[in-house]
Amino acid sequence: MHHADAPTFDPEVASRETLNSFSDFARSITWKVGLTGLAVAFLASLLSKNGQVHLAYSYLIALAYVVSISLGALFFVAVQHVTRAGWSVTVRRLAEILAMGLIPVAPLFLPLVLLVLMGSTTPFVWANAKFLAEHPLIQAKTPYLNSIFFVIRNVIYFAFWAWLARRFLTLSRRQDVTGDPAISNQLEATAAPSLLVFALTLTFFAFDWLMSLQPEWFSTIFGVYYFAGGVMAFFATVSLVVIQFQASGRMQGLVTVEHRHDLGKFLFGFVCFWAYMAISQYLLIWYANIPEETEWFSIRQNNGWEYVSLLLIFGHFVLPFLGLMSRHVKRNVGLLRFWTVWLLVMHWVDLYWLVMPALYRETGPNFGVVDIGCMVGVIGLWLAGIQRVAGDAPLVPLRDPRMHESLAFHNI
Amino acid sequence: MATITTSIDNTQETPGHRAPLVIGHHTYGSITETVCRVAEAPHPPRAWYIAFAISVLLVLMLGGLITHLLLTGVGVWGNNSPVFWGWPIVNFVFWVGIGHAGTLISAILFLFRQNWRTSINRAAEAMTIFAVVCAGMYPGIHVGRIWLAWWLFPLGPNQNALWPQFRSPLLWDVFAVSTYASVSAVFWYMGMIPDLATFRDRATNKIKKFAYGALSLGWTGSARNWHRYERAYLILAALATPLVLSVHTIVSFDFAVSQLPGWHTTIFPPYFVAGAVFSGFGMVLTLMVPARELFGLKDLITLRHLENMCKVIIATGTIVGYAYAMEFFIAWYSGSRYEGFAFINRAFGPYWWAYWTMVTCNVISPQLFWFKKMRTSPWLMFIVSIFVNIGMWFERFVITITSLSRDFLPSSWGYFIPTWVDIAMFVGSFGLFFMLFLLFCRYLPIVAMAEVRGVALPQPTDGHAEHPASH
Repeated sequence: MHHADAPTFDPEVASRETLNSFSDFARSITWKVGLTGLAVAFLASLLSKNGQVHLAYSYLIALAYVVSISLGALFFVAVQHVTRAGWSVTVRRLAEILAMGLIPVAPLFLPLVLLVLMGSTTPFVWANAKFLAEHPLIQAKTPYLNSIFFVIRNVIYFAFWAWLARRFLTLSRRQDVTGDPAISNQLEATAAPSLLVFALTLTFFAFDWLMSLQPEWFSTIFGVYYFAGGVMAFFATVSLVVIQFQASGRMQGLVTVEHRHDLGKFLFGFVCFWAYMAISQYLLIWYANIPEETEWFSIRQNNGWEYVSLLLIFGHFVLPFLGLMSRHVKRNVGLLRFWTVWLLVMHWVDLYWLVMPALYRETGPNFGVVDIGCMVGVIGLWLAGIQRVAGDAPLVPLRDPRMHESLAFHNI
Repeated sequence: MATITTSIDNTQETPGHRAPLVIGHHTYGSITETVCRVAEAPHPPRAWYIAFAISVLLVLMLGGLITHLLLTGVGVWGNNSPVFWGWPIVNFVFWVGIGHAGTLISAILFLFRQNWRTSINRAAEAMTIFAVVCAGMYPGIHVGRIWLAWWLFPLGPNQNALWPQFRSPLLWDVFAVSTYASVSAVFWYMGMIPDLATFRDRATNKIKKFAYGALSLGWTGSARNWHRYERAYLILAALATPLVLSVHTIVSFDFAVSQLPGWHTTIFPPYFVAGAVFSGFGMVLTLMVPARELFGLKDLITLRHLENMCKVIIATGTIVGYAYAMEFFIAWYSGSRYEGFAFINRAFGPYWWAYWTMVTCNVISPQLFWFKKMRTSPWLMFIVSIFVNIGMWFERFVITITSLSRDFLPSSWGYFIPTWVDIAMFVGSFGLFFMLFLLFCRYLPIVAMAEVRGVALPQPTDGHAEHPASH
């Protein structure tokens, strides 16, 4: 592979492509859509008897959704630095920008935190003193499951994530100007130990916001399960973003079919990894058949929830596994786009399946305008926030010392 | 054994310029020469003879002990109520775990385009197969009546009235391990064909010419040969990748499908896989640090290769530490008194010494690799690799023994004590492992020269090192 094969890359030209360089309409639409979505969800929730409770759960799903994608992005950036990856330089900035979404999403948790502090049984029964008094087993968990410690932990999670995401983007943008290779070493040195803290914060975030919805239940793999789905959703998102940006004339010649092919391989890989985590959790609990563990799956196998479970098995694993396996699919824009959208929907189904059965144990799935409104709303505000905190960042690193490797990258 | 060494430190890398994977001004010819010399030298180094003699003695001891076991019965082991799964299963899991590095390096690192794997993959794959041989021995002899070991396989269920329990992970293990062993062996052998052909072409006597000629399957090195070879390599890599994960996943099921506290926990599958990779890399380091010295391979297996392995060890060791932490946290969080007891018992019960040996070796000792000095000093990392081996044996000991020795019924609690046969057999299995490895070093291409040649020479740009002629 010679330099001559690589497309010419002009940092000056590339520096003009940012999120802010999109049309005024594209930039203003996100927060309008976001607010409208949440307003619709709220109004729709007033129409039914149990509407506000459903709203809280649905809102939590939407937050867990965008957080998982941003965490996937943060993980991706850290791993690229630790492994000194060359191929991924031209897509790394998109991940750096997506990871910044952790900053604007943090205040969106406040309504739920408020519910916890008020001692509401929604969404967490353990926050309610009366409930605890009647449930000694959960009462015994209050050294961990109490509202003050819950708030402290979440402040730590988001403070760390915000710091790390900012540091990755800030240093990388400093390199955009100076091209100093030493910055790559600095990023590498930051990324390695940060991965340890990342693993713990992500795990306990998943325990706190998802696993403790049914506080009697426990599973050691739960954090990794949430991680697997999130990283998969990140690869779907970044592939989709690349495809859509390129369809609108951006990032031309910077991200090629070779990068999309690799992103597709990772997407395929994490579809499998998610399934591996899911089957590990299910098979071991099903096989041992210990009541305090099987109860969680029992809810999800009855009263209509079994259809959601089956949808996950086929939609989140079997079909995309077969669909994404071929080299042709990963290198075809239309087909890859189809699977990214499909899997992003399935990731929502996965989170819905984790959260909602806690509320509708006996009545089965309940889906409606509130859920759509929450998703549209939270994703809209998340994107609007990303534009605000990272809108002026060029879409590719301009002077990364490994840029030439990424531009010249070819699969074997 | 003279090697050309230069002062290049290829563990230092300026971002944007890839450090060389082979040092010492090598040409294609000199790489071939360096690797072939190991097998072609009229006599191996004296250390080889000493190590081989000790290994053979241990193998003889192992053979004697197996005979003793078969003639007397499994009662010669310490397995007894309440610990019916003693050292044989501990040793089985220990060896199977070690057999994970080779295929990970050859298959998964290949898919991740990690070219540094080329210098170590051959030896690691060989080690993998020998470790699986040691592992496979234990279930075989554990059945007691070894002439009925074939009952493990569902051979002619109707004719023999044999209906193996398909719902048991122990049966899945038979399939998982045997599939893994066969695919790893095919992968190892297929990858060796071009190098065996080189041996054949350089052979100086008839026996060697015939043996290497037969093994190299008529390889000519034509473009068509290489094309087929690369295709097959990619397909085998893709097939072997899920196998790397499946074997130890199913080994973990042996424990985790039960209801026993300390065995039954959902994180077991990925945790066992990480532990297996960790122990496998530990053993690769244990073998490669002396081997590169002994056979003059320091230009091919450079400090950079060793440093990368140290990084894999710190990553996987920390994942194992994460799993220990999750187990402990959930044992408390679950509110189950049995879960809670199992873990308190591990850390502070009669086997506290085993537990803390495990934690020190597996979680704490790899953290030394945060220091560059530790990652670039071969004999320091050799010491850590020994700790890793010890720690991973103790992990399986802790899991197996502590949970069994104190289960739900306090009146049947006991304290497991191994017999001398247990200990001597385990030592003997090392003899088997090292004997096979030493034979491999002497008679087969210890480094994948065809692949190393592909990544060795400076590329037209530093940008695209990943275009080896060999794949």
